[in-house]
Amino acid sequence: MRFLLCFLVAVPLLAQDETKPPKGEPLKYPTGVILVKGAEPSASDTKTPLPEGGRMANDAYKNDYFGLAYALPRGLKQPFEGPPPSDTGGYVLAQLQPAQTTKAADATSVLVTAQDLFFSAGPAKTAAELVSYKKEVLPPYYEVERPPAEVTMAGRKFARFDYVSRAAGLHWYVLATEVRCHAVQFVFTGRDPKAMETLVDGLEAMKIGGEAPPCVRDYATGANVLNRVEPLLTERRFNRIPVRIVIDTKGRVKYIHFLSAFPQQATAITDALLQWRFKPYIVNSEPAEVETGIVFGGAAGRVAAAGD
Amino acid sequence: MSRRFVPLAILLFCSALPLVAQTDPGVRGGGAAAGQALASVLANNPVTILNFFNDGKARFQEIDSVAGTVSGENGVGLGPRYNSRSCASCHAQPAVGGTSPFTNPQVGDATADGARNTVPSFITINGPVREARFPFFFNTNNPNGGVEDLYTIAGRVDAGTCTSLAQPDFNFATQTNDIIFRIPTPTFGSGLIENIDDSTLLANFTAQQNNSQGVTGTFNHNGNDGTIARFGWKAQNKSLEIFVGEAYNVEQGVTNELFPTERPLPGEDRNAGLPSSCRVNATPEDHTNFNTTSIATLSDSVQFAMFMRLLAPPTPSTTTPGGSTSINNGHNLFNAIGCNVCHTQSLTTTRSAITPSLGQATANLFSDLEIHHMGTGLTDNVSQGDAGGDQFRTAPLWGLGQRIFFMHDGRTSNLINAILAHNSSGSEANNSSFLFFNNLTSGQQQDVLNFLRSL
Repeated sequence: MRFLLCFLVAVPLLAQDETKPPKGEPLKYPTGVILVKGAEPSASDTKTPLPEGGRMANDAYKNDYFGLAYALPRGLKQPFEGPPPSDTGGYVLAQLQPAQTTKAADATSVLVTAQDLFFSAGPAKTAAELVSYKKEVLPPYYEVERPPAEVTMAGRKFARFDYVSRAAGLHWYVLATEVRCHAVQFVFTGRDPKAMETLVDGLEAMKIGGEAPPCVRDYATGANVLNRVEPLLTERRFNRIPVRIVIDTKGRVKYIHFLSAFPQQATAITDALLQWRFKPYIVNSEPAEVETGIVFGGAAGRVAAAGD
Repeated sequence: MSRRFVPLAILLFCSALPLVAQTDPGVRGGGAAAGQALASVLANNPVTILNFFNDGKARFQEIDSVAGTVSGENGVGLGPRYNSRSCASCHAQPAVGGTSPFTNPQVGDATADGARNTVPSFITINGPVREARFPFFFNTNNPNGGVEDLYTIAGRVDAGTCTSLAQPDFNFATQTNDIIFRIPTPTFGSGLIENIDDSTLLANFTAQQNNSQGVTGTFNHNGNDGTIARFGWKAQNKSLEIFVGEAYNVEQGVTNELFPTERPLPGEDRNAGLPSSCRVNATPEDHTNFNTTSIATLSDSVQFAMFMRLLAPPTPSTTTPGGSTSINNGHNLFNAIGCNVCHTQSLTTTRSAITPSLGQATANLFSDLEIHHMGTGLTDNVSQGDAGGDQFRTAPLWGLGQRIFFMHDGRTSNLINAILAHNSSGSEANNSSFLFFNNLTSGQQQDVLNFLRSL
């Protein structure tokens, strides 16, 4: 009887010709929605704050992962959200523009980004190095207005770097600080230095940073790894898959955040990581949780495939 | 006009100026600035290479029929499904090898030689050449994304037993928003693109990180060896031969040594497949010609790729439109607001074993060949390789001055709208586009437009 029921249900489904219009109400697809995604972020739970999980609320940008609360400067809004995290750990947290389409001389835009320092493609390992490197590779059509230097904003150390395009008459003020092994950057762009400086001063009122596990680069390497199981990547192997993990006090993976992975890859890597064992991270002679990063796929996969 | 209204008219005129002050100069005139062979090919270095270029060009322009028996249509293997009948019919603007022309050949293709096709609503005589894809199989959430050829050979004088073969249901797909379009990519300079080493692309990628625009990007990879793929709207194809072999099969229905089997529609593949009555020819229809010892030995696919490989890049104008000062200003502004983070001006090719012009040459392609998220406004919900629904290869801008249609689907012929289309949620290009519209003066915007149309 059960077989018959299954058959009666299954046959019409199997017989459906997906090249022809179906009978009944057709499924209409929404426009302007990204339904088919590529490598995307995901996490092993839905409660732990994510770097990409910030939001606009009550004229402020809030991001629990970075402990960031930034009141939007007057007259600015975010018309569009940014892209998903990149496979080199780049985040666009907020992109603020004048609320009115205007070419007012004092119009300034604000871009808030974060660079995961575990996965950066360049040589920089700290926020200050990132800003210094930006100056080193500054294209010749810009001029340095203020070389990288340390400043204090909102009670934190920032690296600040200003440059200008004479051709465009536009100035860039870049301020970066380090939170949880990320360089959180505020980039102000505009024509009027005075108006821009006012917005920079506004950073004093923001809140940033907070309680979090210590972050340690390359902790999941060498003798710290007691047991390692390689994930089996089948469908795709060559995209770079950066993964942030939190290791608990017993040396087990407690939490996984994929910055960029296809779903099958996330499943395979999760299955593997849950079998990894680490030396517990020690703080003041006591085991402590630690946050670190690992990269799967990419170049390692390319080497493995050579000659296949 | 009474004197009383003159001040009001002046006021209205002036208030409207910011809206109309900058305009797309339109398709640059003055003859095609593309379509020639590379300099070393014109110099016939190595000896006989010019013959290969000319032969490839002739084949590129050949019109295909089903059996090669129709007068003036000597190519063999059209269909059973197709989008057009010749490479050059679509790759035509401003010269053979280019992109969508002013007059869309697909209107005439529908009924050529007795074919009985209905021209879909999205194909118009003055619109772009288009291929159609259904992102999903009808009434499901199952990704499709394959090309749905516009036409079939049924009814053609040379179709033999293929008397009935239905076109895809474009009306239903349109009604349910289950359809997207792609236009032909121009092929000028593609041999230079093919000869850029992965290490060069990766070095450029690293150099562009931590820019002030929030742009990141990544690469599409060949699924077999993991190297960087670079041809097609999503950089899904590794080489020109792969690109050509697929296009010959998909766009014209000609089976070949790279794609050797007749291609049903994505849905047909899952059901009955193509009817045997419409499998007219033995396969592959395009193949190595064993009975000759000359250049004719090579297959069309190999020679199509060779023609494209040996095509010189477009030559930009230094004065048109707007004059050299405006173009130079526009170039500087284009760089200043960060357009060049993705639209990288130049990359250097590696050594070439084919011809000197391809080796260690500066390719001014204005592309990083990376794929970037372009957001909700441009997403086509088609995944190809590592590229997701909203990820596209940075379109090379060389030759843009003489292109008619812009963006992957040819949605606009206006350059301002094309720049605006870079803005939407999830796009990596928002900030540069913001700076263009909000932070440049009207005169500066015009300079950028003039620069782009000079390419």
